[in-house]
Amino acid sequence: MSVYEFRHSASPQAASEWTRRQIVMTDLRSVGGRAYPRINGMLREPSWVFFEILLPFLATSAFVFVYRALQAPPQYIGFVVLGGAMTAFWLSVVWMMASQLYWEKAQGNLELYFAAPMGFMAILFGMAVGGMVMTSLRASVVLVVATVVYGVTFEVDQWFLLIAVFLLTLAALYGLGMVLASLYLVWGREAFQMNQVFIEPVYFVSGLNFPVMSLGLVGALAIATIPLAVGLDAMRQLAFVGSPFPPGTPSVEVETLILVAMSIGFTLVARVMLARLERMARREGRLSIRWQ
Amino acid sequence: MTATTIDPTDPIAGLTSPEWGGFDPSRTEDAGPAAAWRGFRAAVRLGWQMEANWTDPLLFFIYSVAKPVSAALILVVMLQIISGGTDATYRGFVVVGSALWSMVVAGIAGLAWSVLDDRERYRMLKYTYVSPADFMTHLLGRGVARVAVGAMGAAITIAIGILVLGVPFDPAAVDWIALSLVMALGIVAIVAIGVMLAAVCLQTRQESWSYPEAVAGALFLVSGAVFPLAVLPAAVQALGLVNPLTWWIQGVRTAMFPGGVSSIGGPGSLWTQVTGSASPDGTTTVLVLLVTGSLVTLVGTMIFRISERRARDRGLLDRTTGS
Repeated sequence: MSVYEFRHSASPQAASEWTRRQIVMTDLRSVGGRAYPRINGMLREPSWVFFEILLPFLATSAFVFVYRALQAPPQYIGFVVLGGAMTAFWLSVVWMMASQLYWEKAQGNLELYFAAPMGFMAILFGMAVGGMVMTSLRASVVLVVATVVYGVTFEVDQWFLLIAVFLLTLAALYGLGMVLASLYLVWGREAFQMNQVFIEPVYFVSGLNFPVMSLGLVGALAIATIPLAVGLDAMRQLAFVGSPFPPGTPSVEVETLILVAMSIGFTLVARVMLARLERMARREGRLSIRWQ
Repeated sequence: MTATTIDPTDPIAGLTSPEWGGFDPSRTEDAGPAAAWRGFRAAVRLGWQMEANWTDPLLFFIYSVAKPVSAALILVVMLQIISGGTDATYRGFVVVGSALWSMVVAGIAGLAWSVLDDRERYRMLKYTYVSPADFMTHLLGRGVARVAVGAMGAAITIAIGILVLGVPFDPAAVDWIALSLVMALGIVAIVAIGVMLAAVCLQTRQESWSYPEAVAGALFLVSGAVFPLAVLPAAVQALGLVNPLTWWIQGVRTAMFPGGVSSIGGPGSLWTQVTGSASPDGTTTVLVLLVTGSLVTLVGTMIFRISERRARDRGLLDRTTGS
């Protein structure tokens, strides 16, 4: 029997009294249900291959050529390629996590989510899982193609740690996405505008194309607060062993701990904020307000 | 029964019922340039309101400049790391290129997002489409508002470049007439590319929000915005030379910083190999910009009309999607 199949209950009261198992199973189904359209959607409209792989690859290439024009050392080309691949995740967090609830509100789905018998965190997890799978594929293709085309040589000593740091970076990034999604719940039209502010400025302070500690204090602050900055810096240190990094760059171990703290912290903050902002949005009637 | 005459000076002319209270068929007919101009002005005003009235002016200002200034700073830091920031001429090259690029992104995104905004968010696209105003005129008006925001960001980025980042600039050396001319031609080319992307977004789905940035990112590679085309393979340089944005950026640089680094010519460039000249002069730049801009405008208009017809045939104008 399909897990999504409707099952009769003895009475309305029985239907409202759920066991712990029923709650968990429903939330798990919600995660799967919300992740499904993102993963399956890739097959329905293949235009993303052009727009989200080929074009981002060309955008990354532009920065490669900037370094070539400056006759930079080869590892800087690698920094740009890695940064270019990771931008896919940041764009996914901004466009497909943070602003998703705003879209849902605009489309009239948000009320349905709240009325459905499932935890809202399950919806956010589903969005995150779907986004991670979808974006990992895109980022991998950009990374592989750019590596081959520009002849990037990675020097990795600790593959396990590199993979762990990558996964932690995703956890922290999507945790932040869940926090932002809660914020966007109460925002109106400014949500869309804020997306714009979250792109280039974050790329700059995260050191997308250069070691972040080149920015000094700003870089240190970014490492402490922005998952993209700390994750990218740790991955660069692990993928380009022996490359010089600016003085003051935290070790990979410290950056890994920061990522662990961010992953846990952002998820907890998202849970608290979601509950609070949902209450506020209900009180102020913002859950169903559109187009403001 | 006579058709109602519309007063072009009346801001709500054409919106009220005819005096006799029924349907006036003249409203469905092409009302000429005056009505097109009125529709365009209304669309510009609407676009500006949508862009600017979501917050207070200070926050709007910060929002408008944060993106282009950050984009320029990324390049300035890259330059600083590699060359130690010793070459002020190249700093000017990247600051002007990235500032102008913010206009490109705004212009391209403006039209595409107008389609997506109206279809996906406000669900007004079908109503706009069936209104007497020409659909493309409406989109152009909406796009112009975003170009204006982009231009403001670009101007401030260049100002920051000159005042804070030490970009050498002499107002007396600027060829203001050439600058005005290339700016006008460049904006037309940007809007034409935006029209093409709007045509694509009429066919695609909600994920199309990121398409303008993706297309702008790809064009960034072949426009000589932040590095000379000479570093690219010859075939890619050829693509750059048929791109009007390349000539626009070159034209602005030549007008603002005479004798500066050329993004088109120079040692190893296709331009120098073919023409034998170090870089194109001002007149050549304007002429090529005019030709390539006109071609892009023609192609953009044609693609838009085809896309519009297909969208109407397949019921895409009122389709809303989600993912």
